[in-house]
Amino acid sequence: MSPLMNYTRRRKVKNIILDLLIALVVIICVFPFVWMFMTSIKTRVQTIDPSIWFFQPTLENYRAIFQKRDMFMYINNSIIVVLFTTLVSVALGTFAAYGLARFQFNRKEDIAYWVLSLRMLPPMAVVIPFFLLGRFIGLLDTHLLLIIVYLSFNIPFTIWMMRGFIEDIPRELEEAAWVDGCSRFQAIRRIIFPLIAPGVAATSIFCVIQSWNEFSLAFFLTSFNARTIPTTVTFFLSVLGVIWGEMAAVGIVATIPVLIFALIVQKYLVRGLTFGAIKS
Amino acid sequence: MKNKKKEHYWYLLPSLLTLVAIVIFPTIFLWYMGFTNYDLTMGWEQHKLIGIKNFQYLAFEDKDFWHSMKISLWFMVFTVVIEFVLGLAIALLFNRRIRGKRLWMSFLIIPMVITPTIISLIWKLMLNTEYGVLNYILSLFSIAKINWLGYENALWSVMMVDIWEWTPFVALILYAGLQSLPQEPYEAVVVDGASPLQIFYYLTLPLLKPMIFIAILLRSIDSLKIFDIVYGLTQGGPGNATELMSMHIYRLGFRHTNWIGRASANAMVLLVIITILTNILLRIMRRGTREEF
Repeated sequence: MSPLMNYTRRRKVKNIILDLLIALVVIICVFPFVWMFMTSIKTRVQTIDPSIWFFQPTLENYRAIFQKRDMFMYINNSIIVVLFTTLVSVALGTFAAYGLARFQFNRKEDIAYWVLSLRMLPPMAVVIPFFLLGRFIGLLDTHLLLIIVYLSFNIPFTIWMMRGFIEDIPRELEEAAWVDGCSRFQAIRRIIFPLIAPGVAATSIFCVIQSWNEFSLAFFLTSFNARTIPTTVTFFLSVLGVIWGEMAAVGIVATIPVLIFALIVQKYLVRGLTFGAIKS
Repeated sequence: MKNKKKEHYWYLLPSLLTLVAIVIFPTIFLWYMGFTNYDLTMGWEQHKLIGIKNFQYLAFEDKDFWHSMKISLWFMVFTVVIEFVLGLAIALLFNRRIRGKRLWMSFLIIPMVITPTIISLIWKLMLNTEYGVLNYILSLFSIAKINWLGYENALWSVMMVDIWEWTPFVALILYAGLQSLPQEPYEAVVVDGASPLQIFYYLTLPLLKPMIFIAILLRSIDSLKIFDIVYGLTQGGPGNATELMSMHIYRLGFRHTNWIGRASANAMVLLVIITILTNILLRIMRRGTREEF
């Protein structure tokens, strides 16, 4: 065998091994989701038998969670909270981002980094005062309280994401509009906004995902009326003998929208995960 | 472009005032509560300031506080190290020509965007000793059943789920870093005849440094705050085996004892630790990436 053939052969083997490793990584990442899906279409007996991989699927669990367990109410609660907190954060945050991106003033970076530091607050430190205040003014277990509390991480996130998107747009475009007689606000509306629209959409989707998935705050601040989907898992913990099939059905219903949203913003994912610090 | 009219205020104030109202004010309230004897069973007017007694309680009487502190720090160090090592390996694995790369990478997103409490319950099912699929798969290789969520292993299992959830996060950040590395220095060292290992150690790692710092610090902060996965998997148990700091605060303040004052004091301790880490992170971000824009 010539050395060259030997070399290409070794490289081929190496590539196959690396591909197999990638396959392994992908399988590990996907498996719990697949298992959740399989559990959701199993009957109650099948859910506690891991050796069954092929079976007659049933939609019984899905029927049960919508008929017996008020899933519509929790979905509705989640949608209300997520929608309003996202709208308010994106509206307020985008303007603040514009202020940071386009003006020079004292201590600008200090303000920007102070805002970012709020995103790191532990939920346990936020939830105690909000729980007590909510109790005093009777706002516990309302959508409004959750919407307000969620602003505390969505506004900082929006400011940082949108600042990056706005800074990506050349100033000259805006300045040309001013020369043509636009006011600053008109220029924002006519020039900047159409250009940052994809960024606004991506940022909104990130806000939706993180609010939709939020558990710690919702768990303490709601009890019945305003309960969101992630907190419904507590039902399955308190009941003796977990009803895995229904639990998994709730999981599938709750996570499918998130996965679809995540695929839409895949391009901006790293940017979103690092608050705009790393653009890719 | 200096502007004397303070026009920027109009853009910034709505957000900043909102944040002050919903973050600063409650934080001050938390600090106040940390110095009171308030608990949920008493009327508000009965509460009084008791100085640093809550902190004394945590430090000298509450063994679970030190336990939670210890395992939280251990949890942070262990998960972050493993997530970094695996994440870097996965980033390198993907950093070559692969057919359908975009599709494969989109699967990596699943663990970190899926609702954490829900998937942690699915993990609880998969980790069940008697009918969990993990023990079933192990039995195919004739490995004896493991009591994943028993006292001995529960913390490891929580760590495993955290690693499953967040390794792809580190991998994606480092992959983005690898993709944005400049080409020229590599051409130079290849000409100089450096080995792949040398190139990696002396060139790739130093160039990746800002991304590595950001990934590690974000993970450290988040793993100290962790509550949802623990709640879904073990609720702090068995015993206090997985009672990480947030879980301990929950137990003090809400679950058995209703001691809001003591829970607030503990939350302040957590807040201080996280603030320190956050300041380090922000300093690095400020120095490293932001100024290049």
